[in-house]
Amino acid sequence: MNPVVEVSHLRKRFRLPLDKSNTLKYRVTHLRSSSRYRDLVALNDVSFDIPSGQFLGIAGPNGCGKSTLLKILCRIYKADSGYARVNGEFSAFLELGVGFNPELTARENIFLGGAMLGLTRAQLRDKVDEVLAFAELEEFAEQKLKNFSSGMQVRLAFSVAILGQTDLLVMDEVLAVGDASFQEKCFDTFNRYKREGKTIVLVSHNLGSLEEYCDRVLLLNQGAIVADGPAAEVIPTYHRMVADHALAVERDLPVELSRADPRRSPAVGFVSVGLLNGSGQNTRRFDTGSEMTLDMNLQVHRTVGDFVCGVAIRRADGLLLSGTNTLLDNVTISGLLAGDTVSVRYTIDSLPLLAGGYLVQVSVHDVGGSDIYDWIDPAATFHINDLGDGHQGLIELRGRWQVDETEDVLVRSARQ
Amino acid sequence: MTVVAQESGTLEAIQRPKSVFQRNVNLVRELSITSFKLKYTGSALGYVWSLIKPLMLFGIMFLVFSILLRVGKGDTDFPVQLLIAIVAWTFFTEATATAMNAVAGNGDLIRKAYFPRWILVVASTTSALLTFAINTTLVLVVTFALGDLHLTLRSLFVPLFYLELIVLVLGLSLLLSSLFVFFRDLGHIWEIVSLVLFYGSGVVFPFMLIKSQTLLDLAGLNPVAQIIQDLRYSLVVSSPLNHSMVSLIGALEVVPIMLSVTLFGVGFLVFNKLTPKFAESL
Repeated sequence: MNPVVEVSHLRKRFRLPLDKSNTLKYRVTHLRSSSRYRDLVALNDVSFDIPSGQFLGIAGPNGCGKSTLLKILCRIYKADSGYARVNGEFSAFLELGVGFNPELTARENIFLGGAMLGLTRAQLRDKVDEVLAFAELEEFAEQKLKNFSSGMQVRLAFSVAILGQTDLLVMDEVLAVGDASFQEKCFDTFNRYKREGKTIVLVSHNLGSLEEYCDRVLLLNQGAIVADGPAAEVIPTYHRMVADHALAVERDLPVELSRADPRRSPAVGFVSVGLLNGSGQNTRRFDTGSEMTLDMNLQVHRTVGDFVCGVAIRRADGLLLSGTNTLLDNVTISGLLAGDTVSVRYTIDSLPLLAGGYLVQVSVHDVGGSDIYDWIDPAATFHINDLGDGHQGLIELRGRWQVDETEDVLVRSARQ
Repeated sequence: MTVVAQESGTLEAIQRPKSVFQRNVNLVRELSITSFKLKYTGSALGYVWSLIKPLMLFGIMFLVFSILLRVGKGDTDFPVQLLIAIVAWTFFTEATATAMNAVAGNGDLIRKAYFPRWILVVASTTSALLTFAINTTLVLVVTFALGDLHLTLRSLFVPLFYLELIVLVLGLSLLLSSLFVFFRDLGHIWEIVSLVLFYGSGVVFPFMLIKSQTLLDLAGLNPVAQIIQDLRYSLVVSSPLNHSMVSLIGALEVVPIMLSVTLFGVGFLVFNKLTPKFAESL
């Protein structure tokens, strides 16, 4: 049987212009300087096949070429040389709700989103009620999408996305949103796909889900495959790579703010997120055992009830080390009026982390957890200095050693 | 009859139609209906605006050219000619202006989903065509009812001229939408070109008023002029000021028609050539 996906000697290079050159004036005034480009090799001779029924994970640090590979698979980008062939129908989950229009009702968006998948109006007509039921949005069928909470939008988008019968499912890790019961539904669906023997490609930072779901993991680094095999074999390589990569965080790279959904203006949004040391100074470098304060300033854009502010600390590769929020810690942020500002500080008296690069993720949502007002991941990065004291691992457990030596009086006296 | 119990919490997938053509047609339909609908939602008069606008333009042009400047004097049917020309012109200019942004304005879709990119342009044209079709039907029915149309054997060519207009608009739309991704100045340039075409095509005055044969030949080479003049001639009674393009420029009439078809071909080729670069450039 033919493999579902055949990728052969795929190369992709991006030419990043150093100037904005798409106006006529620029072209005329810079006739001779057309070569001001910086080349970025995104994929360098990548080849692999995916046999039918395999659940393939693709892992790798940011900028390793994962997204480019995915986009070439989905025919969004064209390869410079080599080819990526998909034998059969595929569904892409690069982002949910692509093609949805906020001015249309849920029902109309089902037809539009379905058409983007290749489904016809006639096919969808009998299915609309079922889709609405699955998304738990029956009562909102005639409501405009713009009035939906982000959770509701994601539910609708996901329900439409799984409508297309498909041989290959290509997913970016987009599904980490929505409330718990819906997440469960998503995973049920993927488990069902897996049981049905569908071929699946999952791109993820989350080693846990790669390990749980994937038969095989491809590890990419700088546009090339550096490891290919069962999850259990590849993940240690990934850990080693991440450890090297974490050192890059040391260079105080500019923080990339990636918002949950940039199109929505949140009811409450982060204005700034900073890290302070024990003396109240902004810094990105800390020592194990030192004090760290996460200083968050929030702006209330729309009058809201009580809300919750959450903080998570991840290792550079995304592994969650700790996460908490004001609700869990019994701290109340009471409802505020539009225009108010809030300062929230989260202080860790003594950082238990050992040397390495770390990420901070922050979020604000309503008390029920269904409305995510704002979500920044990563909001900040920091680095724990290597004190050279030889401690191993991720965290300092601050265990106490106790040694009791009992002298055997008889033996000792006999030796003397 | 067997009732299959629906397993709770699952949603069965639908088999996509085998025919890619059918999928594409469906997507064009959904996208064009959506943009047609969205264009008119939220405003109290909605669709009526797309009729009011050409009518207002007609009113103003009629006032200025027919009454103040007495351009069409001696041609009692000039108002009908003006109306037909303005409706066709409005389609041409709105369709091309909207299409300009059909690719560049949908960066989100292009970067995140796969579908043939020409669908965006065809959908944009179809949406404008919908308005045009309704307006044309209204204008033709009303003028016919008022006895202002002169339907003869030559009226049989009317659908062909409308078809030529659509081919021209689609070709230009493909060309403009793909080039606009890389040259944003095109938006302004096209506005100026449109203005030149508006006056160069005799939309608001009888084409016969161009006295110099050289200028007439030159202006007649432009497909918009030819289409509009031939529509007028085919629908309205002929007069000293209303002739077919053939009688005005002779065998040169072939040029604008060929030009429409060629522009379509060029638009198609350029669009295909540039398509792979859209996702990276937006």
